[in-house]
Amino acid sequence: MSEPVALVVDDSAVNRMLLARHLAAMGISAREAGDGRAALAALQMSSDDVAVVLLDVMMPEMDGYETLAAIKSDESLRQLPVIMISGVDELESVARCIELGAADYLSKPFDPVILAARVRASLADKRLRDLEAAHAAAQAELLQTIERQKAELSRFLSPQVAALVSTPEGEQLLAGHRRQATAVFSDLRGFTAFSDSAEPEEVLGVLREYHAAMGELIVEHGGTLEHFAGDGMMVFFNDPVLQEDHVERAVRMAMAMRERFAILAAGWSKLGFELGLGIGIATGYATLGRIGFEGRYDYGMVGTAVIVASRLSSAAEADQILLNPRTHAAVEALVVAEPVGELQLKGFARPIPAVNVVGYKSPGERVDSAPQLATTAADS
Amino acid sequence: MSEQPPVLDEQVLDALRDSVGGDDAFVADLVATYFAEGAQHMVEMEVAAAAGDAAAIVRPAHSMKSSSAALGAARMSSISRDIEFAGRESRSEGLSASVDEARATWEATIAQLRERGVAK
Repeated sequence: MSEPVALVVDDSAVNRMLLARHLAAMGISAREAGDGRAALAALQMSSDDVAVVLLDVMMPEMDGYETLAAIKSDESLRQLPVIMISGVDELESVARCIELGAADYLSKPFDPVILAARVRASLADKRLRDLEAAHAAAQAELLQTIERQKAELSRFLSPQVAALVSTPEGEQLLAGHRRQATAVFSDLRGFTAFSDSAEPEEVLGVLREYHAAMGELIVEHGGTLEHFAGDGMMVFFNDPVLQEDHVERAVRMAMAMRERFAILAAGWSKLGFELGLGIGIATGYATLGRIGFEGRYDYGMVGTAVIVASRLSSAAEADQILLNPRTHAAVEALVVAEPVGELQLKGFARPIPAVNVVGYKSPGERVDSAPQLATTAADS
Repeated sequence: MSEQPPVLDEQVLDALRDSVGGDDAFVADLVATYFAEGAQHMVEMEVAAAAGDAAAIVRPAHSMKSSSAALGAARMSSISRDIEFAGRESRSEGLSASVDEARATWEATIAQLRERGVAK
């Protein structure tokens, strides 16, 4: 910024000249106005560079009161400090001006030392207020950015996760940590054949419907969506938000997905598209956090459970929800499951005895093990 | 107008000169501005008084009062003040006499400022 500008408003040319001279000695250049109307016009034309107004109280046409009131009622001028200039016989009116929002006053004849002190104080005050305003604006912009990022994030993550990511704990979570979690994989049976024969628009339409329906259920059950990839998706539970009942949530979500999918599939079937849903669920210790590289990170889960869930989902036939033994053990009280035999999964030396979830146990059957799960099940 | 202040208050003029660091050229410019501005105000007051227009006299009288006070033209300031107040109170009787007195004082003020060597 160049040297500050003061607007000197006085009907006496001698006074204006004298004030301009005193201001020049302080490194402040003066712009002059002979009455209130001219002052307001000058301010409206270039209020940005005027840093302080020296305003005579008694002026013909538009006097100091009116001018001051006009400045203080104008949103863009309100912050501008106004120093009243008054003759000795006008000191009473000065009090009124201070009440109206004047920053200070000067009495005639001018004492340059007092003039300098009052103008400098007002300029410093203005600078401080400008800084505060700039700071507040920057703060508001930052908050807006954070809110926008949160909104953006919540398109990818559940709202709880998006909220967590913008906290200090979130930063720690991103850095990577190990905990027990449940991974759910699903993909479509018959999708390859379907996408080979159907029109691209039809394929995209089916996927859109499928993603929308599944996405809703993921959010409803508090799952973290790691990715959608064509017909496949991966969701995990118990991270970043801790969920005591993560296994149960995963199984409940899978069952809800199967149910919802059946309705969608019936509609597609009428169009001649035969599609089925296969789901695999596995629970175990895993590493979770930021995975990827600068510019393209995912919040992901890495561990044996992820691979098992993925293999189970590939092995699942249409409408099957396959669980590994540990997952089954955690929800035994809740669901009826049938063994599907020992599955030889790619990359695993030993076969895994998997079960398929048939349905919920009737209330009478839900007694024995896992009392905590039984309670939650009965509640819902 | 009971007590008549001096035409020129030397103390005010000296203080003014000090306040601008003894810059005589500036003081001379200021006085020149005063002469030009004052001459116009004088005419405006005379026109208003001749027309008996009390309201129209307020503005020039007020400015004259203010500028005169700044330069230590004490009597000119005092007379202008009385005229301004008369105008505000819409008292048009005696206005011409007051303006005549203002004219005489104005001439005296110019003479004294010249005499003192502050005018160019």
